[in-house]
Amino acid sequence: MDISKYAALFLAESREHLSTCNLLLLEWEREPSATEPVGGLFRAIHTIKGMAATMGYAGVADLAHRMENLLDGLRQGRVAAGSGVFQLMFRSVDALTKAVESAAVGTEPVDEDLFAELDAAAVKGVADTQAAGRGGSRAPSRKKTAEPVPLRPVQVTIRPDAIMRGARASLVLRRAESLGAVTGVRPPVAQLDREEFDGRLFFRLSTRSPDDTIVSTLQAAGDIQSVKLEGPGGEGETVARGRQIRVDLRRLDTLMKQVGELVVAKNRLGVLAVGGADPALGEVSDRISRLVSAMQSEVIAARMTPVGEVFDRFPRLVRDLSRDLGKRIRFDMEGEEIELDRSILDEIGEPLLHLIRNAADHGIELPDERVAAEKPAEGRILLSATRDRNSVALRVSDDGRGIDRRAILAKAQREGLVEPGVDAANDDMLLRVLSRPGFSTAAAVSGVSGRGVGVDVAVTRVRALGGTLEVRSEGGRGTSFIIRVPLTLAIVRALLADAAGERYAVPLAYVAETVEFDPRGVTAIRDREALVVRDRVIPTVHLRDLVGRRNGPAAPRAPTVILEIGERRTALVVDALRGQQDIVVEPFDAPRGMPPFVGGATILADGAPALILDAAALL
Amino acid sequence: MQAVQKYRQLKPDLVTMDIVMPDMGGIEAVREICKTDPDAKILMCSAMGQQALVVEAIQAGAKDFVVKPFQPSRVLEAVQRVLG
Repeated sequence: MDISKYAALFLAESREHLSTCNLLLLEWEREPSATEPVGGLFRAIHTIKGMAATMGYAGVADLAHRMENLLDGLRQGRVAAGSGVFQLMFRSVDALTKAVESAAVGTEPVDEDLFAELDAAAVKGVADTQAAGRGGSRAPSRKKTAEPVPLRPVQVTIRPDAIMRGARASLVLRRAESLGAVTGVRPPVAQLDREEFDGRLFFRLSTRSPDDTIVSTLQAAGDIQSVKLEGPGGEGETVARGRQIRVDLRRLDTLMKQVGELVVAKNRLGVLAVGGADPALGEVSDRISRLVSAMQSEVIAARMTPVGEVFDRFPRLVRDLSRDLGKRIRFDMEGEEIELDRSILDEIGEPLLHLIRNAADHGIELPDERVAAEKPAEGRILLSATRDRNSVALRVSDDGRGIDRRAILAKAQREGLVEPGVDAANDDMLLRVLSRPGFSTAAAVSGVSGRGVGVDVAVTRVRALGGTLEVRSEGGRGTSFIIRVPLTLAIVRALLADAAGERYAVPLAYVAETVEFDPRGVTAIRDREALVVRDRVIPTVHLRDLVGRRNGPAAPRAPTVILEIGERRTALVVDALRGQQDIVVEPFDAPRGMPPFVGGATILADGAPALILDAAALL
Repeated sequence: MQAVQKYRQLKPDLVTMDIVMPDMGGIEAVREICKTDPDAKILMCSAMGQQALVVEAIQAGAKDFVVKPFQPSRVLEAVQRVLG
């Protein structure tokens, strides 16, 4: 058997288990007397060990085995849980993560020191370090807490044509008893013996045996139609898990691309059908249109992944940061269940990482400082996800000192980023200055952040995803960074607009409304032309200007698209609007000299190419 | 009684046992055999209408049962299950 092709699967599954390990360790550290995290950790490590052994990754299996020994000691109460043990476990999980990653690419470094430390700890525990501060007390005389045996609800159906179903039922129960205690038999045994039942019997089986053992053991009683198992507690967990499969993301990418092509073809067919004389063609076109739309939403749904998968790594990060920085930080997460396209999710982790680091390093103050400012000594960072109509907003908020607007303004003035007359830094300016490569107001470059890459990287990444970044900051009260990204990248609904004979697509997600250009409503803000729309002054951009084809003032009543991102608005004046269409965003290698307001390209329903405007660049 | 002695002598792979037998009942024999060898592979042979006895035999340690009139396929399946 060629085992190498399973390396990717091993890696993917191990990563999931390791992420679980980190969360469980954090939970356990908060509550050292809890017993559930130990059991969960043990299972996760044990699974990794088993998988590694199958793959022939001896180093990984060896490390996992030693961790298991320590966990076993903890579980049995031989070793007390304390900060020293937690620190060792965190380091071991890190080492295991490294070992898993390098095993998958064919190398297996071995850390003998860590092995020795784990082995010693499994026997006599670890002295607590003073740094932990809280939860440092050794859990006194933990009682033996063997993990409770799971109670599995079982339903067995005996074939209707079986002879003596009552006797068959008693064989089933006998066999079940060979696996563990049987309780709660329904219908009652006496009734079963007299065959007073419809062939179905229920009972609860307390056993550690794996599902397939239970099923095969019970099946072997003979004349069995089906055996159904439910997870511990009867949540039907096993059933749900059994219905999921792993799919290589590239498969879904290909599928998505093909559905994209199908959408374009469908749109073309729609155009032909409307112009054609044959009513049957119109009917078929409508039907195909509905089918393709349904298929498109299914494929998009298949790519959707809860943001929790990316969030899960951050609690550990913040814990480590707060230790390193000598700060006390509570980290909360909300909206982990909100879903995003997998390809966006994969890209969003790094921007979030930078923003969270910034919040911990620059935002949250040292405990003394906070107390002096009459704030709780423990700072708080909140990572939350919320779903808007066509986008998802991810917020990183802290209750720290806020961004120093005067420092930002001074810096901006020194570097000539603002006109000399400007004497206040609004949120927009904060972002413009913060996102300059290399910008930093940190007094000293710390190991955590402050090298001036954070916001810069976040802005670049988020913009590349067609998203936006906003900042809100209040002196002494805290700072929020808000990332907005589209739900999915591949297919977007767009408004088509003409300018100077060319067609452009404006993603609908950023279109607030369309109005007519009214020359009487034209005014100016800071030398820029602006339009008054229902008492709001909105700066204008003429698409003809952007493409260098301006020939005189805009026609009265020219269609105007109001773009909106967060609080910011721009009025985009075009020659004509050409309706809405689903467009497939093609990968786009911008040629040199491509203006920044072009975010991509697409093929329209009539087969003509069009440039996609990047709303964020126009605002 | 004979059956129990034979079992101790021969240690057979498989025992087929009639539920109703002279002297000692089949169920009693099952119980005796299982006392010395809990893993004994005993297949009960019964007639229709003896369900209560079959249930008792199973509780005594019989591993499976077939019902007269025998159907070759069912007997074969039962033997395979008991030996499996």
